[in-house]
Amino acid sequence: MALPAPVVSYLQSSFLEETRPFCLLLDANYRVVDSWGDNSWCGLTGIEPGADMRESAPFLVGLPLTETQRFEFIETVGRAIVHAHLVPEGDNCYVVLLDARVAHAAQQTTQHSVNEHRLMHVRQRKFIARQRELISELIETRSELEHHRRDAERSSAEKSRFIASMSHEFRTPLASIINYAELAAAGDTSANDVQKCIETISRSAQHLTSLVEALLDDATLDAGQVELVEHDFDLRKVFDDLAAMMAPLAAEKGLSFVTLVDPDVPKVIHADEVRLRQVLINVLGNAVKFTLEGSVKITATYAVDRLRIKVADTGPGISPEDQERVFRAFERGSTREKAGAGLGLTISLRLVQLMRGEVSLESVQGQGCEVIIVIPAAASAAPIGHDTGMFAALGSDTMAQKPLSVLICDDDADMVALVEHYLHRSGYGLITSSDTTEAIEKTLNYAPDLVLMDCNIPGIGGVAAALQLRERGYAKPIVALTASNLDAEEQGAFTRFFRKPAPMQELLAEIKRLTH
Amino acid sequence: MTRLTSKVCIVGDFAVGKTSVVERFVSNHFSGKYLSTVGVKIDTKEIEQGAAGVSHKLVIWDVAGSDSFGDREFAYLRGASGYIFVADGTRALTIGAVETIQSQIAEKFGAAPSVLLLNKRDLVAEWEVTDERFEALSASFNGAFKTSAKTGDDVEDAFARLAQLIVENELRGK
Repeated sequence: MALPAPVVSYLQSSFLEETRPFCLLLDANYRVVDSWGDNSWCGLTGIEPGADMRESAPFLVGLPLTETQRFEFIETVGRAIVHAHLVPEGDNCYVVLLDARVAHAAQQTTQHSVNEHRLMHVRQRKFIARQRELISELIETRSELEHHRRDAERSSAEKSRFIASMSHEFRTPLASIINYAELAAAGDTSANDVQKCIETISRSAQHLTSLVEALLDDATLDAGQVELVEHDFDLRKVFDDLAAMMAPLAAEKGLSFVTLVDPDVPKVIHADEVRLRQVLINVLGNAVKFTLEGSVKITATYAVDRLRIKVADTGPGISPEDQERVFRAFERGSTREKAGAGLGLTISLRLVQLMRGEVSLESVQGQGCEVIIVIPAAASAAPIGHDTGMFAALGSDTMAQKPLSVLICDDDADMVALVEHYLHRSGYGLITSSDTTEAIEKTLNYAPDLVLMDCNIPGIGGVAAALQLRERGYAKPIVALTASNLDAEEQGAFTRFFRKPAPMQELLAEIKRLTH
Repeated sequence: MTRLTSKVCIVGDFAVGKTSVVERFVSNHFSGKYLSTVGVKIDTKEIEQGAAGVSHKLVIWDVAGSDSFGDREFAYLRGASGYIFVADGTRALTIGAVETIQSQIAEKFGAAPSVLLLNKRDLVAEWEVTDERFEALSASFNGAFKTSAKTGDDVEDAFARLAQLIVENELRGK
């Protein structure tokens, strides 16, 4: 049933008032045929018969005029907001535009609120995901921190144990040195006893030196400053030297000491002889130290450019749990009564690894122990030109053969007196200085035949002094004699480098070699 | 010089920066304020495509954001010569929306020139789209651009690329 006429009339007038319809009649080419209504609100211009409406109403571009179409909420270039209706009529088409600002504003408020809400959800989701990541990272970081804390605690405990151990290790030989020195100085001690005192003092001092050397080696390895020096050498000679060193120690304990080099081992091999000796002395020293009866045997075999050395003993063996620990710094297994820093095997392992080799340990508790060292070592055809053995005899004649002078720069009066004594006895003229500034001036003024320089001394320091002397034209040998641990570059400032305590005979022989 | 007028529709999920991209292209301006588009906004810009000898007027329909289209939105697309799909590089889910819309359009209107814009590239710390995914998207659309309506980066290039594709398509049609 149709609505009453007054209602229809009311609705029509309300609708027309609200939407302010504007109507165009366009031909098939979008040209104006006719128009009706108020166009002032919708920003359309140039509405004249024949005008192409796609210019002023670009939303018409591309739209077919042959179908009834309805577009809601078009914001035109003129920023009017319209509902557009296209109503074809024969070859023409009515385009009816209705003002949609009021409805658009209401819908935009709603739509915007919905979109903001959805965006907030997205941000929340991202925030929660990020929180989860952070929590996960936090857990991981805490776990790492806990791990580091445990490492630090273990390290601290190891260091504390090490300091306690070192304190004991140092005090024993120091006590021996002090007590025997007092005994030697006592007026009523016989010459024979004084000689024994001196021998004991010397032995204790050498033991202290070996402890310090082990500590320095460990620190140097930690700092990554150890560089291999590979050259050709005779392994059999090395084994002879090791036998000369170890056999008497073994004999003292009633042990047999056996060395065996397989015929397949080349006469001359290429490797770092000094470091290999150090490793073998460490391993053999341990074997002799811990073996109470039976034997210590060292054998060498060779295959495919790799040298394999096995040190086997008939000692108490090492329990499986101790086998994991003996290669760690400051660990000595469960046999604590034996002396040592607990660094020997650690250093040996690290040196062998530096040589690109491997160390393995096989032991059954109560049935001895085998340490196997494998390192790359190419066979060399080159003959050995000179004796490079650690225990090779030093030049026996250290006496100066002509009038020569040596400048000693050292701030330790006792050390100056000692070196002065030996050099004077060897026939050298001496100039002394206790700081580098004075030493440089004296060197340039008196031109000694050699400068013997400490490094950690007042003034600019020994290394800088050596470099300055070179810059200022001093061309003769400068020998470092220092307790400092110089790196390779610092050592390069000197002709030769000796670390205190240096064997005096060796130092004198080198001074003679450099000055003659 | 040949004159050409083309209808181009900008589509994509809500709040990906469609209106800002158009504003940057048409007025070289950026407003950081977000205001939801209702219905469609019409803008025009004329560009010279010297190589093709074409003066090209683009009638740009900036369609309200949606993750899928209905009758009202499809009505807006009638007669479009090309599409710019816009996604938000800091919301990877919006890529799924343009992929849905792309397939809906292809099904309803057939293939047409298009490019993909991964917008908001200035928000580096929040970017969620890997280079590998970007390459894959670039292959599945006719080209993809990492754009920033805020800085203007690559916006002009993206529209120029679409205009070029439309001209090539028109020439093939003739």
